Amino acid sequence: MLAISLQPEEFDLALGVQRWLIVFGTVLLVSLLVSLMASLATYGGTGPARLFGRLGYAACDFMSLSPRRIFAVALLTFREAVRRKALLVFVVFAVLFMFASWFLTGNSERPEQDIEVYVGFVFTTISWLVLLVGGVLSCFGLPEDIRLRSLHTVVTKPVRRNEIVLGRMLGFGSVCTLILVLMGIVGQIWIVRQSQGLTLSCRVPIYGVLKFLDRTGAETSKGLNVGDIVETRGFIEGGTKGAAVFQFRLPKSQPELLRFESRFEAFRTHKGSMDRTIQARYVLSNEEKGLRVPLEKFNVAEFSQNERDVERKISYTNEKTLKKEEVDLYNDLAQDGWLTVHVQCLDRGQYLGASRGDFFVRELPDRSFSAGYWKAMVGVWLMVVLLVMIAVTASCFVKGPVACLLCFCVFVLGQPAHDFMDKLVTGKQVGGGATESLYRLVSQANQTTPLDNQMMERTLKTIDRLPSGSLWIAKHLIPDMRTFSMAAWVGKGLDVPWYSAMLPSLAVALGYILPCVLLGYFSLSLRELESK
Amino acid sequence: MSAEAVIQIRNLSKIYRDFWGRKKVRALNSLSLEVYRGEVFGLLGPNGSGKTTTMKLLLGLLFPTEGEISILGKSATDVSKNERIGYLPEESYLYRFLNANETLDFYGRLFNMSGETRRKRTEELIEMVGLQHARRRQLKEYSKGMTRRIGLAQALINDPDLVLLDEPTSGLDPQGSRDMKDLIMRLKSQGKTVIMSSHLLADVQDVCDRIAILYGGELKELGRVDELLKERNVSQMQTSSISDACLDEVKAVLAKHNVEFHKVDHPTNSLEELFLKTVERSQQRPGQRYVPESEAAKGGTAS
Ligand SMILES: Nc1ncnc2c1ncn2[C@@H]1O[C@H](COP(=O)(O)OP(=O)(O)OP(=O)(O)O)[C@@H](O)[C@H]1O
Ligand SMILES: [Mg+2]
Repeated sequence: MLAISLQPEEFDLALGVQRWLIVFGTVLLVSLLVSLMASLATYGGTGPARLFGRLGYAACDFMSLSPRRIFAVALLTFREAVRRKALLVFVVFAVLFMFASWFLTGNSERPEQDIEVYVGFVFTTISWLVLLVGGVLSCFGLPEDIRLRSLHTVVTKPVRRNEIVLGRMLGFGSVCTLILVLMGIVGQIWIVRQSQGLTLSCRVPIYGVLKFLDRTGAETSKGLNVGDIVETRGFIEGGTKGAAVFQFRLPKSQPELLRFESRFEAFRTHKGSMDRTIQARYVLSNEEKGLRVPLEKFNVAEFSQNERDVERKISYTNEKTLKKEEVDLYNDLAQDGWLTVHVQCLDRGQYLGASRGDFFVRELPDRSFSAGYWKAMVGVWLMVVLLVMIAVTASCFVKGPVACLLCFCVFVLGQPAHDFMDKLVTGKQVGGGATESLYRLVSQANQTTPLDNQMMERTLKTIDRLPSGSLWIAKHLIPDMRTFSMAAWVGKGLDVPWYSAMLPSLAVALGYILPCVLLGYFSLSLRELESK
Repeated sequence: MSAEAVIQIRNLSKIYRDFWGRKKVRALNSLSLEVYRGEVFGLLGPNGSGKTTTMKLLLGLLFPTEGEISILGKSATDVSKNERIGYLPEESYLYRFLNANETLDFYGRLFNMSGETRRKRTEELIEMVGLQHARRRQLKEYSKGMTRRIGLAQALINDPDLVLLDEPTSGLDPQGSRDMKDLIMRLKSQGKTVIMSSHLLADVQDVCDRIAILYGGELKELGRVDELLKERNVSQMQTSSISDACLDEVKAVLAKHNVEFHKVDHPTNSLEELFLKTVERSQQRPGQRYVPESEAAKGGTAS
């Protein structure tokens, strides 16, 4: 297996909320200003009063939401989907799986890889099918309702437009949930059957904080670069004081047994000894107490992982006194519940690469496979819920096919756009933004060379920064779908971590509720419900 | 009139525009009328004259291009007015995948009714419209008349004070229209206000207190049915039966005042005659509009 580890990135909720507030606030402010202008233009002096009257009315609508009415619309939506045989996709799904078993038989040389393939297949199929059904259903729901005028009979009842939007979202959401759960169960059974004889695991990783020591033992934030373009790993030099220092928060339950699991990368500058790979060792340390507890060295496995059990009581040879001693993991070594582990490479002239995701402490016992599997399903579910919200919102102001197209853009084309905008916003796009590019085009300057005229370049960059603010907003308006894919964790037999996977997806999905409902409400209230 | 106006329409105009905002149709032109509490008001007019448009404007389904509407003292776009309104659309735009019970239950929920009330109301209404035998069949299997009936039931689910019926008798069998007319009279006797549009003039003549005749989006006639149907410049005599010989003498006799008069009256037309006459006149003299006397006195807007 490739030595690729999953890189956990902790989600900063406070920062997320702050960004949400900035983006939401800005968009709200801009729309308010635009409506104010529009109202002035159409109604003259009485415009603003009308606008604020309307907004007050909207506030009332939001204050007096009725759960019963929302439920009525949701139930209607659910019934509609079920009676229109939306659940038929489930049959498609089952058939797909029957055929898949023929083609996806494992080669059993690398059992973990087989499992990864099975899990990947299940999640990809389920995601696409549910997204497809959920998207089409919710894109066409309201427009059909308007076209057939059945909405006329509904909106002439005291139901508020926001209740319709919410009810629709809830209804389509529950249809998708039902489909997802059914498929999830079948998928799990299929995986379990496919991987008979293999162990399905759900290891619970505790990831650490990583910093590096250079060859003199001084602290640096980055390791060495051995010439990789993508610098995911920092390298440490063997036979020196260089080390990768991981700090782990130990579980509060203080289990008797922990397991260190790592998957480091070796970089050789010479052949070394033929009969073994590069050697490394862990050193547990507590600087406050001046404790250094080296564990036995091990050969770095390059295509699978190194595992080492660490018991609570550790006996070791003190490096200074050369005496045998025993320490307690929690009482002696841990510092405020944090354990520090230095990873050192022992071969002189060889290098060892480490990243945060390469080394984790595994909490024993493992969770059941179902736990991780269903957590990742929650990820898919959140993505579907987000799609339903966006689709229903879109269908409030455009017709079904256009809404579909819009969703497609957001979900599929949104990703490359995201990356591109990322670069533009951070100023990493080669050749600069629009104005600078245009200048380069006209002056026939190369994209990568700095412009001769420093002054000119600075001015152009400043001009380009202006729209980049709005681009930053635009970038944050499009959801980043990568947040929701958690199948990789399950495929690798890992539990889905809360802070770096579950929490961000939850936050993203939650962040869209209010804007979507607001947008849907206003578009549904301000338009005539007559098909054009 | 001293009665309270439930609906007030002032200078209402509606222009349908297409997607790009270009004018398509001028469906209503400066319509002004009032409907009073407790009366049955009929909207008449040939196809495409703007009856449905008026109703939709009243309900806030469409937004007026010009003019103002006050309905139950509120603006047409205020959703809370719907608490007291029942609406039967031109065609019953209902969810075809629901059955009768579910349909009424759904609309009941929209009025925030409790489960108990909903069940009771559903029971009553299904009985009233005579759909007991088909209550568990999906609406897509219903005939036109049956759909009409369930549509009516849904309009009455909240026991509304103001009922708007767009062509209530279309698609109903004779018994059904009879029942519908009885129902309208019953609603009136309960003090409710009913606005209906119809082509079936006999129906309108039977039940309506006042009518408005629209043509090409303009108001051509407005008034009490019995007043409108009176011919003022002709007199009609009803006498005891007279012989042929007597008949020749009648003119002479008239001058001499020696016939026993049973009744002297203005003859009434059938509504059909009035309707056709109005339409014909409108075709001959387009642009002439009905102007209420009060406004005419003020030198109103007749063109
Ligand atoms: N959605 C629409 N878009 C464009 N024009 C419309 C629309 N609805 C109605 N119209 C036009 O408005 C005019 C009035 O239509 P309306 O439906 O109010 O007539 P009506 O009096 O109800 O006729 P009918 O007796 O046939 O039901 C017609 O010319 C019609 O073509
Ligand atoms: Mg009509």
